[in-house]
Amino acid sequence: MSASGVEQSAHHGASPVQPAGGPRLKPADSGATREPLGTRILRALLTQRVVLLAVLIVVVVAVLMIMDANDYLTAPYDPDYMASSLINAVPLAILGLAELVVILSGRGGIDLSVGAIVSLAGMVFGFAYGEWNWPFWLALVVTVVVGGVLGAVNGFLVSYIGFPALITTLATYYAYKSLAVVINNQEPISTEPIQNLFSITRSVELPVIGHDIPNFPLGIFTFLLPTVVVIWLLLARTTYGRRLFAIGTNDVAAQWSGIAVRDTRFKAYTISGLLSGLVAVVTVAQFASARPDAGVTGNGMALPAITIAVLGGVAITGGIGRVSGVVLATLLIVWLNAGILLAFEGNEGSQFQLLALGAVLVFAALLNGLTNRRYGGTR
Amino acid sequence: MTTTTPPRPVPAGEPARAVRTRNRVLPSPVTGQELVLLAVIAAMWVALYFTTPAFLKPGSLQPLLVSMAPIALIGIGMTVVIITGGIDVSVGGAVMVCSVLTAKTLVSSGVSLLPAVLLSVAVGGVLGLVNGVLIAYGRVHAIIITFGTANLFQFLGLQIFGSSTVNGIPSTFDVFGRGVAGRSFGIPHAFLITIVLAAVAWWYLRHTAGGRHFFAIGGDAQAARLAGVRVQRRILLAYVLTGLLVGLGSCFVIAQGTSTLDQSVGTGYELQVIAAVVIGGTSIMGGRGSVLGTVLGALLVQTVSSGVTQLGWNSNLRDLFVGVFIIIAVGADLLRQRSRRAAA
Repeated sequence: MSASGVEQSAHHGASPVQPAGGPRLKPADSGATREPLGTRILRALLTQRVVLLAVLIVVVVAVLMIMDANDYLTAPYDPDYMASSLINAVPLAILGLAELVVILSGRGGIDLSVGAIVSLAGMVFGFAYGEWNWPFWLALVVTVVVGGVLGAVNGFLVSYIGFPALITTLATYYAYKSLAVVINNQEPISTEPIQNLFSITRSVELPVIGHDIPNFPLGIFTFLLPTVVVIWLLLARTTYGRRLFAIGTNDVAAQWSGIAVRDTRFKAYTISGLLSGLVAVVTVAQFASARPDAGVTGNGMALPAITIAVLGGVAITGGIGRVSGVVLATLLIVWLNAGILLAFEGNEGSQFQLLALGAVLVFAALLNGLTNRRYGGTR
Repeated sequence: MTTTTPPRPVPAGEPARAVRTRNRVLPSPVTGQELVLLAVIAAMWVALYFTTPAFLKPGSLQPLLVSMAPIALIGIGMTVVIITGGIDVSVGGAVMVCSVLTAKTLVSSGVSLLPAVLLSVAVGGVLGLVNGVLIAYGRVHAIIITFGTANLFQFLGLQIFGSSTVNGIPSTFDVFGRGVAGRSFGIPHAFLITIVLAAVAWWYLRHTAGGRHFFAIGGDAQAARLAGVRVQRRILLAYVLTGLLVGLGSCFVIAQGTSTLDQSVGTGYELQVIAAVVIGGTSIMGGRGSVLGTVLGALLVQTVSSGVTQLGWNSNLRDLFVGVFIIIAVGADLLRQRSRRAAA
């Protein structure tokens, strides 16, 4: 799409669909040439996003712990604090995975509407659980399904009609955002059952080993971990996952090999909607209220989610990306943000979080460009 | 599968091969999309006139033109950026930086009109330069870089804000505002400036080699490079241009408000501008687009917004209509492209 749009062929070993004869061959024959250890470490850092993210997490946590030890922080940055801050990772990581699936599907795939879906589906949950007193599981299922339907609208327009994804999801962002506000006359729903839902976000002690490690937020186990496992299984262990990588890498070739390209891409947007519906429930619980602007205030939720996906090594051109990258990128941002909050007094911290997010994203993007030129070979 | 064949023939903007064929290569001065937009806007104005007689009066149209001006103005730059195949989602943050810096300067030193405008434009240009350098020479996809710089600009803007609002902004910018000082012969200055700049941009993009290079890059950057276009420099220029226009647009934004500026300034601007550009018929895939369409797109969005308010509907319905209009505009464009391809 841009001047550098030719970079698509520049895989950096992050894709599970490794074409034979791809750049991966290099390390395999290193037994013969025997590169120095430093070169190999540098290559791993630059070409394997997961390695880079792991190193960055260690660095960030170490720096913050040292700052803590020297009394630069307003409160202790310890494992307990890190564990409790993970509650912020739940919506971020799930939406990051939603963007992963959509961006993987290729042809400029992106979903700007996730935040608006969170708002609208959240209001539906608010009605179902808070006003009509449906049982929790039913309200949850209905909310997720509503999210899926809203995502399916995106998918239909993008893959069957052929709209550009950026525009489609921009349009539905506006439409869903507006509906979410209008549906209950701009009023949030915060009845008794909704307020009690806040207990989802409490921290729990794990059985058996829980005594020795910090307490983790319940949402991690009830929402985040199952989603991560399901998406990982979907991408790495099912035919659908393979097809998704195929259409993202080259959808013309995929079409000729008999893959239902439109159907596969349609499902990607539907999955993104389903995940947004799930986040809607989490968000309602976190705020203890179904707010009509939950997913779109300020920068909204789509921007951070896309940032997480890109930081996690997902190629915006499609076909390259891993679940582990997205999860590690979330951890990095969440722990960095948690540390920044302690490093500044009052409102300053949230502003410096913007700086950190932007700087990390630009850094990661430039690194991608460098990696492509240095190791991928496209000029 | 017709939708997924990537190499699209460049319909317009290819450098003319010979002077003789020049007229054939030039796209028609007004596109079908623009005519349709004109018709839709006219229909809406007439409909609004019959439902709320207060519409079509100067007192109602003038504010409408003033409010659409910054969107259309920044839209000119965004159109060029999108024609090259890029996008700039950092304009919201850039508007915040420019307007808060200019407003603070106005409050603290009381500079006169011209230096204040120049300051804002210069700051905008620098922000655009940052985007342009990173995108053109870092060779990273524009949406990623501008998502990043959007955060950085917001940080910068909030830092300059210091407190939650800037109060007591002097009336230096009233020449761009809604008041009597803001118009000559009944036409708001902000709108006039926008129209003049849009006309210049239209001429530049259509009738100069440099302008058409933008289309060439959007059509196929590699081919453009081989044909001798300095691709990176052109891309850099597109983002700097957007930055400069953001600077000027920020002056309009300050002028529209009261004497205070709060931290929400610029929020969501990028999406409004992109919506106007897309409704105007510019292809998000690059290589095709028009500045006139963008101005009409901004006018349409503002008409919807103003209409919803004047009909006494829930003002949040505006966004729903904007969304629907984007879908219709892009859908119509897709249909036309398809029938053109079938005819060819």
